[in-house]
Amino acid sequence: MAARYDLLALHEDDDVAVALRDPPAGPARLKAGGAIVTLTLAGAIPLGHKVARHAMPPGHRIRKYGAVIGEATAGIAAGEHTHVHNLRSLRGRRGENTP
Amino acid sequence: MPREFLGYLRADGSAGVRNRVVVLSILGLTAGPARRIARQVPGALLIATQHGRGQFGEDRALMRRMLVGLGRNPNAAAVLVVGADRLRLDAIAQAIAETGKPVETVALDDLHEDNLALSDRGMRLAAQLARDASRARRVVLPASLLRLGIECGHTDATSGIAANPLAGRVADRLIDAGGAAVFGETMEWLGAEDVLARRAATPEIGHRIVAAVLRREAMAAASGEDLTGNNPGQENIRGGLSSIEEKSLGAIAKGGSRPVQGIIPHAAPIPGPGLWVVEGPAFSPPSITGFVAAGAQLVLFTTGQGNSYCDALAPTVKITANPATARRLPQQIDFDGSALLDGTRDPEEAADALFAQLLDHASGTRSWGEVLDEGDYALARLGVDF
Repeated sequence: MAARYDLLALHEDDDVAVALRDPPAGPARLKAGGAIVTLTLAGAIPLGHKVARHAMPPGHRIRKYGAVIGEATAGIAAGEHTHVHNLRSLRGRRGENTP
Repeated sequence: MPREFLGYLRADGSAGVRNRVVVLSILGLTAGPARRIARQVPGALLIATQHGRGQFGEDRALMRRMLVGLGRNPNAAAVLVVGADRLRLDAIAQAIAETGKPVETVALDDLHEDNLALSDRGMRLAAQLARDASRARRVVLPASLLRLGIECGHTDATSGIAANPLAGRVADRLIDAGGAAVFGETMEWLGAEDVLARRAATPEIGHRIVAAVLRREAMAAASGEDLTGNNPGQENIRGGLSSIEEKSLGAIAKGGSRPVQGIIPHAAPIPGPGLWVVEGPAFSPPSITGFVAAGAQLVLFTTGQGNSYCDALAPTVKITANPATARRLPQQIDFDGSALLDGTRDPEEAADALFAQLLDHASGTRSWGEVLDEGDYALARLGVDF
């Protein structure tokens, strides 16, 4: 059966989408909410890895599952692989962030 | 979407999805005779602790909750309680009999420590219970009577993307039908505790959820483990997980999106309808046993690479979204959700189908784990042996 999309935003408002297979660089189909749109990938994305849906500045709080999963440690372009090289956890600094 | 199933209506108004006679040995001393009794009465299920003495405080309270809770589970039609001393035996039997189900007891002390006399008397009692239990008939019951335990084991990248959200959608459906769902693995909320807390029905429940996670973190630290240190691990990172928050959000996705009604101790009774979280162990065998002791009649178990563990008393329905796993383990995986992963299956449609299949298992269709008799139990401990 032909796949209808390669990337899925688990929550409509997420900053990142997750790869359902291993889409190569170039245009990929992304499902967010009810709509399927095209996102141009800067490089190949392995299954389960994330890609930015839009450009994000350093310090941006990145959302997946509708919740913050960490912050951007560098500027991230739309279609760019988003992982440990440009995203870091906020959990380790819990004491600073919670009253 | 179906909202009814065929089940056994119990005296207390609860619903059994199976009709087992349980031989419950409440003391390590009587596990042998209890095993002999269960073997001699086909269909009887042995649940035997290896402990029961030299346990104090929270550890003793937990053991009692598990034994009483498993006996009270509606999938147990009747219970034969096997022990040594009358005092403890009668207290546990009484707590189970409050449900109105038939309960019998045999005590080693009454028989001058004669283990063969114990199994002989026990066999006669269990045989009578089994014959009486066979008179029960399935009737149409509402899904609102179902209590579902949700677990994940041997996860991979496909779990957080597809299998856990699928389980979560099924939990939402059951709760919307008036039923209850429960999940635990407290350690795996680490990093997502604030998200879970915000979903709590009241701020007080939210505070208790965060406190439970910090307590686990402190318990681990006291044992020399840093839960945030190498978490996510190298395997997680290769699979695409970048932070502890992301990993934990994938884990709690299996609980769905409804408000959390409360946090309950391991093996404590599920208080009512809705979504509940358990402060309990992360490893599947003791975690699931806790859900079943809490009253869950069914377990939904998501896996990435495969995991054959099933509960002995509650049918355990295995789901995966990993296509290779579904292909490799056709007699382990009850529901193949891999079409969610290639974007060819609508998530809501898949959840409708799995919910219908769950009701079908509730009505008597056996899970692979039941067909192959994989069922087991694991009684958790909180203390040392004195």
